[in-house]
Amino acid sequence: MKTCLRYVITYVLLILLALFMMGPFLWLLSVSLMPGRNVFANPPAILPTFIAFDNYVQVWEFMEFPRYIMNTVVITLLGVVFNIVLSCLTAYPLAVFRFKGRNLVFTLLISTMVIPSATAMIVHYLTIQAFNLGNTFLGVVLPAAVSVFNIFLMRQTFLGIPVDIRDSGKMDGASEFRIFVQLVMPLVKPGIAVIGLLEVMAFWNNFLWPIVVLDDPQKYPLAAALTYLNGQFSYNFGWIAAGTMISVLPIIIVFLFTQKYYMEGIAGAIKG
Amino acid sequence: MYKAIRSESFTAWAFMAPGLLFLAVFTFWPIIYGIPLSFTDYSVITETHYVGLDNFTRAFKDHNFLVSLWNSLVYVLIVPVIQLLSILMAILVNSRIPGVKMFRAAYYIPVVTSMVAVALIWSWLLGNNGVVNYLLLKAGVLSEQVSWLSTSSTALYVLMFITMWKGLGYYMMLYLAGLQGIPADLYEAARVDGAGPLRMIVHVTIPLLRPHILFCTLISVMGAIRVFDEVYILTKGGPGTSTLTSSVYIFQKGLEQFNFGYASALGLIVSVLVGALSVLVFRLNRKGGVNSY
Repeated sequence: MKTCLRYVITYVLLILLALFMMGPFLWLLSVSLMPGRNVFANPPAILPTFIAFDNYVQVWEFMEFPRYIMNTVVITLLGVVFNIVLSCLTAYPLAVFRFKGRNLVFTLLISTMVIPSATAMIVHYLTIQAFNLGNTFLGVVLPAAVSVFNIFLMRQTFLGIPVDIRDSGKMDGASEFRIFVQLVMPLVKPGIAVIGLLEVMAFWNNFLWPIVVLDDPQKYPLAAALTYLNGQFSYNFGWIAAGTMISVLPIIIVFLFTQKYYMEGIAGAIKG
Repeated sequence: MYKAIRSESFTAWAFMAPGLLFLAVFTFWPIIYGIPLSFTDYSVITETHYVGLDNFTRAFKDHNFLVSLWNSLVYVLIVPVIQLLSILMAILVNSRIPGVKMFRAAYYIPVVTSMVAVALIWSWLLGNNGVVNYLLLKAGVLSEQVSWLSTSSTALYVLMFITMWKGLGYYMMLYLAGLQGIPADLYEAARVDGAGPLRMIVHVTIPLLRPHILFCTLISVMGAIRVFDEVYILTKGGPGTSTLTSSVYIFQKGLEQFNFGYASALGLIVSVLVGALSVLVFRLNRKGGVNSY
């Protein structure tokens, strides 16, 4: 009886919280499926009386979504590849090699975490202009091509690999690079998956830096295009709602399919 | 032996070279370059001059900048404390009952979606004729509509609410990881001693979560100082200067008005304050005997 009551209370609380966290998204979905209704009508439209996909069709035709989706995919892929390659390469020696300056590198990396630079964006802007990368996808990606956080995460993963692996590779006469690529990398796939996912989310959702770097709105990724859409059609709620759903759904789907790795990775990150 | 170590050292640097190069250009360089820049009037448009400490004296007389620092401070004092709610969420989703994983995922979805989408949704929900006013009026909590985001006295708190709402799931996951590391026999022992659920939370769960609470407070404090997206999308610092946070003000001065020199000086001031604050939090962290990071 007592456990039964406990179950009921727990479920009630869980459902209330779910309404609080998911409610806004469900409402957005509902608005996007209501043709020609104003979200600010009185009383506000909460549930659709009938479901129609008009908003999706119209905004899709109007906004050139395939282009924005392509932009986002290119930026995200570039960002993820850069981050995986660079953070693995940087973290590996910090985990397994013994060399002079190792502690220095490590301290330098940590210090950037403690002292955030509010001016970074201004200098990034100047740097990107100096490299002539303004208005390019590379300009969007490069400032975030590697992060100290990812290096830490990968270092932690490399530390968990038995030393014997490297020794046995050496015994067979393999070069350090070959040992790294053929023996070590396959063992850290879960770690790679985690930083990959974190960066997919980060690059997919990034909006401010792309707006700063890209002069041409045609090159905007989805999140940036969304602010553009909101500025241009602030009266057409159905369209904006549909556009927002289109931009949000892929990342939610990616998350739902990969949540196991993702959540383990987030949890593992603080144990580091 | 000596030669072996030397070649190992060479290989190590060769491995790290590309990553360190990027870090040098995009992480270390901005920190270094921001310092000389803040002693100039660099602005792209006019010729650059060395102006000494002018930017700094100007900053401390700049009413808007001081207001923005104050708003950031309010953010830092309030948001990390409210984030502690996520401990209760974590305790709930740590129950061993069917379907609980579904709830975990649901609570995490605001974390993975973009702030642009989140801000857009909430700006509608919070509009004059929006759902929030409608529900609060119906429930009798409000007697008239409130324009949450365009009233000076509420706007900052609304933004804090949105920041918190988006972050709750993230902190929940961190605490959940902590909860799963607490041995079950501790609860068993407490139960034998006749402790109820609430006492177990206060006397077993919270003390054992201390490292996690400190870690989450630290990242939440850092996040609250850097808060930008939600403010920039929803209010641009307005109405008036009621939601102007320091990062938004620096962005306006730097990348909207192209006063790079002045913006760098502001950035430097904020960085020093943040640096001092993080040293403080780290110190507190150490005193607690925690070495989780």
